[in-house]
Amino acid sequence: MGKVITVFKWEIKKLFSSWRRTVALFLLPAVLLMVALNIFPILINYMSTGSINKKPVTVVGAPESFRSYVEETVDARVFTYDYKTYQEYGKLMSDKESYRKMLRKGMLVCYFYSGDPKIDFDDEIRNYYNNISADDTNAFSRAVVYVAYDGNSLTSEARAEQFKEGVLKDYQASLIDKLGGDYSVIGSSLFQTDGFNPVTDFVGYRTTANTAASRVVPGVLMIMMYYCVYSLVSDMFASERDRGFMAKLIMTPVSRRKIYAGKILAINVIVSCSTVITMLLMFFSSWINRSNDAMSLLPFGMLLTPSELLIILGSIPITVLLMTAVCISAVFQLRRMQDITVNLQLPLIYFLGDFFVQMFRGTRPITIEYFVPLHNTMELIAETFKAQNKAWHVIVIYLLNLILALVVLNRTFKKEENQ
Amino acid sequence: MIKVVDVHKSYTKENETIKGVSFEVHEGQIFGLLGPNGAGKTTLMQMIATLMKPTSGQILIDGLSADKNLLDIHRKIGFLTNEIKLDPMSTPNNLFDFFAELYDIPANELKDRRDQSFARFGIAPFADKRINELSTGMKQKISIAISLIHNPPVIIFDEPTNGLDILTSKQVTDYLKELKEQGHAIILSTHIFSVAEELCDEIAILVDGRIAAQGTVEQLVKQAEAENFEKAFFKIYVANHVE
Repeated sequence: MGKVITVFKWEIKKLFSSWRRTVALFLLPAVLLMVALNIFPILINYMSTGSINKKPVTVVGAPESFRSYVEETVDARVFTYDYKTYQEYGKLMSDKESYRKMLRKGMLVCYFYSGDPKIDFDDEIRNYYNNISADDTNAFSRAVVYVAYDGNSLTSEARAEQFKEGVLKDYQASLIDKLGGDYSVIGSSLFQTDGFNPVTDFVGYRTTANTAASRVVPGVLMIMMYYCVYSLVSDMFASERDRGFMAKLIMTPVSRRKIYAGKILAINVIVSCSTVITMLLMFFSSWINRSNDAMSLLPFGMLLTPSELLIILGSIPITVLLMTAVCISAVFQLRRMQDITVNLQLPLIYFLGDFFVQMFRGTRPITIEYFVPLHNTMELIAETFKAQNKAWHVIVIYLLNLILALVVLNRTFKKEENQ
Repeated sequence: MIKVVDVHKSYTKENETIKGVSFEVHEGQIFGLLGPNGAGKTTLMQMIATLMKPTSGQILIDGLSADKNLLDIHRKIGFLTNEIKLDPMSTPNNLFDFFAELYDIPANELKDRRDQSFARFGIAPFADKRINELSTGMKQKISIAISLIHNPPVIIFDEPTNGLDILTSKQVTDYLKELKEQGHAIILSTHIFSVAEELCDEIAILVDGRIAAQGTVEQLVKQAEAENFEKAFFKIYVANHVE
């Protein structure tokens, strides 16, 4: 074991001897993935609105209460508002084709209607509160806010939903303070919950965020893990053999298996740490995403229980070991560096494909999927985020991947020793 | 010290790279392997160094066979080939420490060995520089220092002066002479006739995987009825090479 640790320490030291290598393995992939995940909603926004940072909402007949609410509320300013009078909007509507075109481009229309064109929206609400504070049991309000969007576009629908949930709901709650008069003192509490209080809204946010995470995180982690394993195996095995340095190591009075074990241990520790850093960054990305963009891939509130976290953390080194075994097997079967590079990149395409399947699939995995090595890890992580995993899934996936990794490594080394 | 008995090696069923090679190298002897590219010198040396298994035949190092005593043999062999390139980001000091640990060199001996070895090749001023910042000659000197870190009785050097300038080559050849005087058994492969003539006690000329001729420089010149060693080599090669 001593010599395994010697080789392990050497490989770790080598990695940290160059800041470029360290950054390339630990930070760059994680940061790039984070950037990609955060650029995605911006890209969708650009594709649907033609603008990078604007989420325009056309507000028709906006009452004073709404304008002041927008000015006072930071979260409401995620959107940009284009205020129009009823007359202006009428003109816009008169050209049906261009109106439809605007909706298709992602424009949202928020239409304030008091129930009577002659009555101001705020006055209607104020009257309503006055009536109910005067114990008028028949009091009712005809005021309504319509949100129009392109029903054929998922992006448009999602943005409308975000506007309704994130802005209008909060605005509605604020009306009681602005216009409630005596009623706000007599009939209702002025206390408002913080919309982003992680305790009060924990369950709701967690469900949404973890469901989204179950689609995104497993694929990201698998791609990240394979990228690191592939780079390290190429460096520690293929390049060292190519440079002849492996021969120098093999010529020492340390068995080949111990040398390989030291290298594999180094790969496992480095990649596992790197993967955990990526996962932490994803949690970070989710928890800073307070504006909760409708298109966000990692919505606010992603959270795992300690046992769920342990299941995922346990699966990482086993998966890394299996990926390492597959890569080493390819390296030992091929001699030319070009062949090795090409062949080791092929599984990346598979993981990318699997990532997209995971992202858009609407069904639960079928039993056989738990027996497909590496793909089963993706399913395990996804299920863990959705809190749907069963004990036998965890046991089968752990054991199957571990045994397979050991068998592949043993066969590869045996074959290599006999050459 | 080194005994090679009827060794064959084939990578494919049709082609045999080494076709029944036998020779012996004794303590305090430098045995030269000469031959054109593709004659099988590197394959033969790699088999002696246990990096490759012969298809048939036997190789004994100090009476030990690689099948049963692989790690013991590794303690007895120092192998250097110019194909070996050290990790570009490491320093000579790091490499020396790492290999010392792999060879179980006691900590109290390590400093003396490092000082001696680094002083011998003038490595000391560059000991903390990265390998990629050093010249080819310096890299080769570091390779030699690391290959011989455990003071092995058997030394296998595959073209150790290849690509080196005259001064560094001289340092390497002088060192080989010293090692010979200290009683090491050395196998040396080279393309440079003057190096072979100067250093080798016995030379085997390898043509197409076979030893076409073997003996001292004088014996080979006499056997080929040539004016000098270089001409003798070409005569032997032409007589034995099959197109």
